Amino acid sequence: MPKSATDIRHFIIAGVLVAITTVLLDLLLKAILPMPVQGSHQAQVIDQLTSWHLTLIAFLFSLVVVIMLYSLFVFRKKDGDESEGAHFEGNTVLEIAWTVIPLIVVFVFGFFGVRALSDVTRAAPDEITVNVTGFQWSWLFEYPDSGVASNELVLPVDRAARMDMTSRDVIHSFWIPEMRVKQDLVPGMTTTLRFTPSVTGEYTVDCAELCGLSHYSMVAPVRIVEQAEYEQWLAERTAGTAPALAQTGDETDADTDVETDADAQSN
Amino acid sequence: MTLWSLGLVRGVVGQIVGFAAGMALVIASRLLFGFDPVWNQEPALVGGIIIGSIGFLIGVGALTDWFKWMRGIETPLHHGPPHGRPAWTRYFGVDYNHKVIGIQYGVTGIILLGIGGMFAVIFRTELAASGFQFLNPSNYNTYLSMHGWAALAAILLGIGGMANYLVPLMIGAEDMAFPRLNAFAFWINVPGIITLLMSLNYGWDGGWTVYPPLSVLGPVGYQFTFWAVFLIGLSSILGSLNLIVTILRMRPPGMSLFRMPIFVWAVFATSLIQLTATQFIGQAFLMLSFERLLGMGFFDPDKGGAPILFQHLFWFYSHPAVYIFVLPGLGIISEILPVFSRKPLFGYRWIALSSIAIALVGFLVWGHHMFTSGYGEYLRVPFMISTLLVAVPTGVKFFSWLGTMWGGKLSFPTPMLFVLGAISVFLIGGLSGPILATTATDLFLHDTYFVVGHFHATIFGGFVFPFFAAIYFWYPKITGRMYDETLGKIHFWLMTPAFWTMSLGQMSVGVMGMRRRIADYDPALGVEFGHVLVTIAGFTIAFSVLLMIYNLLHSAETGRVAGNNPWRSRSPEWQIPSPAPEHSYASPITVVGEPYDYGIPNSTYVHMAPLAAADD
Amino acid sequence: MTTVTAALEGYTQQLRNNRMGLWLFFISEAFLFGGLLVTRFYLWGNTRPELDQTIGLIVTGVLLLSSFSMNMAETAIEHGDRRTFLGGLAVTAVLGLVFLIGVMVFEWGLFPAIYEGHLKPGDNVYGAVVFAMTGMHALHVISGIIFIAIVWNLGRKGGFSPERHWGVESCAIYWHYVDVVWIFFYPALYLIGTVAH
Ligand code: HEA
Ligand code: HEA
Ligand code: CUA
Ligand SMILES: [Cu+2]
Repeated sequence: MPKSATDIRHFIIAGVLVAITTVLLDLLLKAILPMPVQGSHQAQVIDQLTSWHLTLIAFLFSLVVVIMLYSLFVFRKKDGDESEGAHFEGNTVLEIAWTVIPLIVVFVFGFFGVRALSDVTRAAPDEITVNVTGFQWSWLFEYPDSGVASNELVLPVDRAARMDMTSRDVIHSFWIPEMRVKQDLVPGMTTTLRFTPSVTGEYTVDCAELCGLSHYSMVAPVRIVEQAEYEQWLAERTAGTAPALAQTGDETDADTDVETDADAQSN
Repeated sequence: MTLWSLGLVRGVVGQIVGFAAGMALVIASRLLFGFDPVWNQEPALVGGIIIGSIGFLIGVGALTDWFKWMRGIETPLHHGPPHGRPAWTRYFGVDYNHKVIGIQYGVTGIILLGIGGMFAVIFRTELAASGFQFLNPSNYNTYLSMHGWAALAAILLGIGGMANYLVPLMIGAEDMAFPRLNAFAFWINVPGIITLLMSLNYGWDGGWTVYPPLSVLGPVGYQFTFWAVFLIGLSSILGSLNLIVTILRMRPPGMSLFRMPIFVWAVFATSLIQLTATQFIGQAFLMLSFERLLGMGFFDPDKGGAPILFQHLFWFYSHPAVYIFVLPGLGIISEILPVFSRKPLFGYRWIALSSIAIALVGFLVWGHHMFTSGYGEYLRVPFMISTLLVAVPTGVKFFSWLGTMWGGKLSFPTPMLFVLGAISVFLIGGLSGPILATTATDLFLHDTYFVVGHFHATIFGGFVFPFFAAIYFWYPKITGRMYDETLGKIHFWLMTPAFWTMSLGQMSVGVMGMRRRIADYDPALGVEFGHVLVTIAGFTIAFSVLLMIYNLLHSAETGRVAGNNPWRSRSPEWQIPSPAPEHSYASPITVVGEPYDYGIPNSTYVHMAPLAAADD
Repeated sequence: MTTVTAALEGYTQQLRNNRMGLWLFFISEAFLFGGLLVTRFYLWGNTRPELDQTIGLIVTGVLLLSSFSMNMAETAIEHGDRRTFLGGLAVTAVLGLVFLIGVMVFEWGLFPAIYEGHLKPGDNVYGAVVFAMTGMHALHVISGIIFIAIVWNLGRKGGFSPERHWGVESCAIYWHYVDVVWIFFYPALYLIGTVAH
């Protein structure tokens, strides 16, 4: 074992250990990361950025923890040794280095962050618009082009969708985990969320903003289907052959819900 | 000695009387102005809260001296145990000694942390399985919200405890600059806490963020929360004012700013935030209260108001507040690390200035909590970049800590273990920050348990672990006795793995799609196992904290006598007897060296003029 | 060191602490008032409600005048002139009261028998913000008047001297501070933006 704390061998050993742990941790993180299905084009962008973040986390975590553990074991006080550690108070070059390098990393991630953000919010030419209304504790989806209203969100796969959203009472938040993106519904204003589903299947849209008593159950079904099936569904709806809108979509009913909330909580 | 001679008892009686008087006042004036004076109505309760708090302060005696000043009566600053009563009673009443006030803050903080933690283990038990076991959604929301505010208020009290006890000692000052204000700032917390607990009776469900319109529509319990937070915030403002003056004006000769113990720098940076930003949450909560009382439409879109305005006001305080929570803790880490590494603090100036940098940049990042809120999209990018920037000064701290340990002579008694635990835990907390900061990834992670994992890690790493380290480290100075080392180590080895499990468990269920603040979840998510682990971990943490409390109480009587300086620290407070005497420094001290020059034989930091009242 | 000089040194020490403390308090309060201005600009943008310009001008003038009388009182005690000191304080307090009554009667319409106000707090954001800003400011004026009353009473009983009058000094600075806040509030409420209907 090298004696002096500034012996180059210490740094080489620690450096190698950091590198090994980084690789292992990176592999491990990416192997066990329990992300939901990657269900939209936006999800691809976001997952890519996430994976870069994970690599950075793996590296920085290893850097700090390995060096810390290394010090704990190597520079441990031996029994009966009452002497003090080497006297060095700092090193300006090092301090500047570990200010400037993270600064660069920050700007790199800032750059990719901005790029990813503009990717996931970009408008597409041929969007399907759905007017989404949230209220305690249910969802209403209206398709302005065909006049259809529904409690279930049905969208064709591989086609950009645009949600124009508002709320009747308190703040809610629209989130389909598989699409990744999320946006609040604010009373008194319209917010917009865009995503392009890429995998057919059945999902749920979950309310992600605490909105009172039944926030936990403010969930609505989502179906991503082929274009043809989507058109058929719309046609059925317009023809009125589909079952009537569930009761909760009704304005008066929503109000009763609010009252039950207040009742339930005041006693 | 009678019960009545305890200030606390008089205060509580004062609060009850005041509450009744306040309600009566409101009802009477409503009668006078021809409103319908319905019993138990919100305005009456708010009147009760306000007058009740004043009643408490009068009862406990926090205003007595000031009332005398108003009548032109001089009030000498009495120092020392109360006359004709057992010495312990001073902890239950107004006392102007900063060490007493520090203990009062600290103990109240621990109790409140226990209360907050108890709410957590209760709702965690419910979450261990899907479906409703013993809580209904309404209870769940109330307990969750109470957990948030009780725990956060506990942090404010905890750092108040550390700052008040340590800062004057560390800079060799006789006391704080304004001892009466100091006592007032502590005592105003107590009616605040009582008010917060009263909210349980009515319930409230907004989470700690109480976003309108929900908080305007919900039950009247909200009013109690608003005013409780207002009172606790007032304490922050006055306490930080006092600390800033103390730090800037009460230092001994020779102690330039860059020769202060590093913890004092951390407290200074914290106080800058507390002094200014706290006004915003006070204002925001007042606006909510009055929107409920008078229908003032600040946040009501029907009246032209804007719900998002509240979020701006709230986070303009509450983001800097998270740095209030951690800066003192990071200061504790920097303070204790050199002692057990027997090496100078690496890059003292950089660490000192990084606290200030974190505090200042922290003012520019609040919008990262609002990426999905619907504010102007152009705001997302500047908030993303500014948030990422905070990583830089925080990194400086981490790397400097590594530099401090590297090549030292490390030993590992309990305080050092908690410091090391704090570093590792704060690291995962901090590293889970940038992924939330890059907006696109936050669109996925926002309002999931990933965020919950992130902030428990930062809070535990930045506050809870360092707080416990500080308690163990300064315990000998406070009581004169050593805590039980074995129990301390058991506490650490239970709490640390449990905490890792809890935090990583929360993050992973979050990534799987578990939303925050839901009373029940869909078993189809596959998160049940994760939740069981988190619950078990939560209980383990609670148990280990109970161990600590037992250790602290038990060792105060049976512990080995510690001596003046069991850790061989250079800091001035360790050069005086333990427990620290009533007047800490028998004569003024002079600073003659650097605070952390470990490794230079025979160098000292402070020169104690004729060591009059030395050991026994 | 004799005890007298030691005591004096203690007093100047404390005085410096007090001054710094007071200014820190003002910095803190500036954030409160700043927050109210932020609210005003966020919610009103470039509009403002219809308020009575004459009343606004009058109460602002009254408040400005009170700063002069306050200054007069402070200068007087520095020179040991107790009569002018007490008189100045009294005038200041009365002007403060006039300001308050003006706001309460004419802006708030608290006494509809005398004057019907034009805005109610619950009407819309205009009412809400007007009441929030004037209300928070009025709260400070009221506490300032109470402060003056206490100082006046102590001064009447022979308190304060040319050397030792921190109570007067802090009271005066506080009063000026509250005035300055109004200098920011007045244009924000009465002048900036176009009248909304
Ligand atoms: C208690 C303290 C605390 C601390 C210190 C932090 C620190 C940070 N926090 Fe955290 N945060 C909270 C408490 C805290 N947070 C709370 C309570 C919430 C939730 C509130 C609620 O909604 O209820 C929250 C939520 C929160 C959000 C919003 C999430 C959401 O709701 O969607 C974001 C988004 O940007 C965020 C980011 C960050 C960042 C970037 C840091 C940074 O300061 C971290 C910096 C540290 C490091 C990065 C690690 C060490 C650095 C290095 C090793 C150097 C090199 C590093 C790089 C180059 C990256 N936090
Ligand atoms: C100091 C801050 C702090 C602390 C210490 C904790 C501690 C814990 N927290 Fe929490 N937590 C928050 C701050 C904190 N938390 C905040 C701000 C929120 C957000 C709220 C919101 O969304 O609005 C939150 C939310 C939150 C959630 C999310 C709930 C949801 O979104 O639905 C969960 C879930 O797992 C959780 C769990 C826990 C657990 C298991 C602990 C455990 O560590 C608790 C362990 C127990 C103790 C530390 C107490 C031990 C002591 C005793 C039992 C003895 C009692 C003794 C006396 C009275 C003297 N917390
Ligand atoms: Cu709607 Cu939560
Ligand atoms: Cu934040």
